[in-house]
Amino acid sequence: MRRHISLLVEYFIQYSKVRLAYRGDFLISVVTTVVATVFGVATVWLIFHRVPRLVGWDFYEILFLYGFSLLPMSLFNMLSINLYYFGETYIVEGKFDRVLVRPLNSLFQILFEQFRLESLSDMVLGVVLLVGCARHLGFALGPWEWLYLAAATVCGCVIYLAIFLMLTCVSFWMEDRVGVIPPVYNMLTFGRYPLDIYNPFVKFLLSWIVPFGFATFYPTASLLKEDLYRHYIYLVPLVAASFFLLALWIWSRGVRNYSSTGS
Amino acid sequence: MRGVVEVEELVKEFRTFERREGLFGAIRDLFSRQYRNRRAVDRISFRIGRGEMVGYIGPNGAGKSTTIKMLTGILVPTSGRILANGFVPWRERTRYTQTIGVVFGQRTQLWWDIAVVESFQLLKKIYEVSESDYRARMKHFDEILELGRYLHTPVRKLSLGERMRCDVAAALLHNPPLVFLDEPTIGLDIVAKEHIREFLREVNRNYGTTMLLTTHDLSDIEELCARLMILDHGRLLFDGGLADLKNRFWREAAVRLYLKDREQGQRLSQLNLHGIGCEKLEELVWRLHFAREEWTAAEVIRRVVNAVEVRDIAIEEQSIEEVVKRIYLGEVLEESRR
Repeated sequence: MRRHISLLVEYFIQYSKVRLAYRGDFLISVVTTVVATVFGVATVWLIFHRVPRLVGWDFYEILFLYGFSLLPMSLFNMLSINLYYFGETYIVEGKFDRVLVRPLNSLFQILFEQFRLESLSDMVLGVVLLVGCARHLGFALGPWEWLYLAAATVCGCVIYLAIFLMLTCVSFWMEDRVGVIPPVYNMLTFGRYPLDIYNPFVKFLLSWIVPFGFATFYPTASLLKEDLYRHYIYLVPLVAASFFLLALWIWSRGVRNYSSTGS
Repeated sequence: MRGVVEVEELVKEFRTFERREGLFGAIRDLFSRQYRNRRAVDRISFRIGRGEMVGYIGPNGAGKSTTIKMLTGILVPTSGRILANGFVPWRERTRYTQTIGVVFGQRTQLWWDIAVVESFQLLKKIYEVSESDYRARMKHFDEILELGRYLHTPVRKLSLGERMRCDVAAALLHNPPLVFLDEPTIGLDIVAKEHIREFLREVNRNYGTTMLLTTHDLSDIEELCARLMILDHGRLLFDGGLADLKNRFWREAAVRLYLKDREQGQRLSQLNLHGIGCEKLEELVWRLHFAREEWTAAEVIRRVVNAVEVRDIAIEEQSIEEVVKRIYLGEVLEESRR
């Protein structure tokens, strides 16, 4: 365990060095990420600022939710780069062989060998949005609230990782390239808005089947709408842990089923 | 004696589905698929002792890589038993891989974008090699493989020969007692090959490292391995020493005679040599070939020189390539089954 942690730091440093070596490429990447997020925020702004209240949420609360959703999302985006291309690079090209002959946990290597550093810029924007909206709402963000948001960020990221890990595992059983990841990835954005705006079926789906609601909506709601959603606080880590354990189990079954490439 | 590697009745089957032809076939494939089990490794058993260097050869698709992948814990066997360094490779993968080194000639183990020396530093941390061991080994590696010149180059900029030297060194950095090399000399020039062979020999001699290597270059085997295993269609056809291989499969020997003049050729053809084939290669060069079971080269030569004036004699040595080629083609197999 200690070795894994010190290696995590080492991987991060090495990878950052490589990324920063291509300075132009990296800068363009950061700028694109920031611009994309700013456009996203602007869209929410344009759509919602004329609507005084939506399903019990007012404009700054919706914006607060949007701001918070950027945090687990950016953490996830930073780590998921290898998951996204796992089928192609690791299974089809057989790079997974290399992972398996090292005395380290296989999932550890997949998650932490590469980072999408530029995604961290979303984290900054998210925090800026949270602070700004809290001021408008007259909501005090003290140390406890920040700690809570940090823990919820980690849980949210774990939920995203769990879902996409399960989808990634499909490539262990099917050699055909399966396009299940992109549509589910697009579903991530559903969690950025109050779940009550969706019909009951979608709400149920986002809560219990693909629990993106537990990554963003429920933690925010239990902070802003304490009277309605207080008890969901306890469910957040529970949902994160159980989905992650399920994903780990599928992963280990997948690794045993891995059949490598011909040569 | 307990082996470093013990393999018993090892089997690996792959399930592949057969695609039907054409668009209509592809649509039918969506609904019902025809699967077929292909046995890549078929009930092989062997045992490797400490410090042995074993060559593992066979034609393409024979099942060599599949065996190596099961031995290194990458693939889970369909049935059979593997015990290596006291571990069941796939079950205790992380603890087991700490005790082995692996080289895939076709694919680098190093990080593509970072300098060689940084890859080594990462490996040092992964395998928990102490600073003093690391320094001593790097110095030693540098002496034979001359790594120093490109330690600070990113791996992607290295030539194949340079990369292979680095890969082999990387696999041995933690001084594992057991090393698997899958085609370590593929595509290398003669100098690079020689460097790598020398390095492997040296490591084997100094540390008693056990090595199993697959190759298509039989000179690798001749120079490195006292023992050879031949695999084809997933089955182990031969397991033994090189000399043993020749003795068992080298059925026909030949002697080449350089005659003094033309007249001797006539005399030679009139000789009654029962069971010996006589072949005229050039005006004065003749080749006699015979079954080793019936004749010895000494006996053949004695008979000939008593009757014919001979300037020079050469005994044809059958090359290991020749023997192995015949095994691959299935000629010798029939005989060995008898």
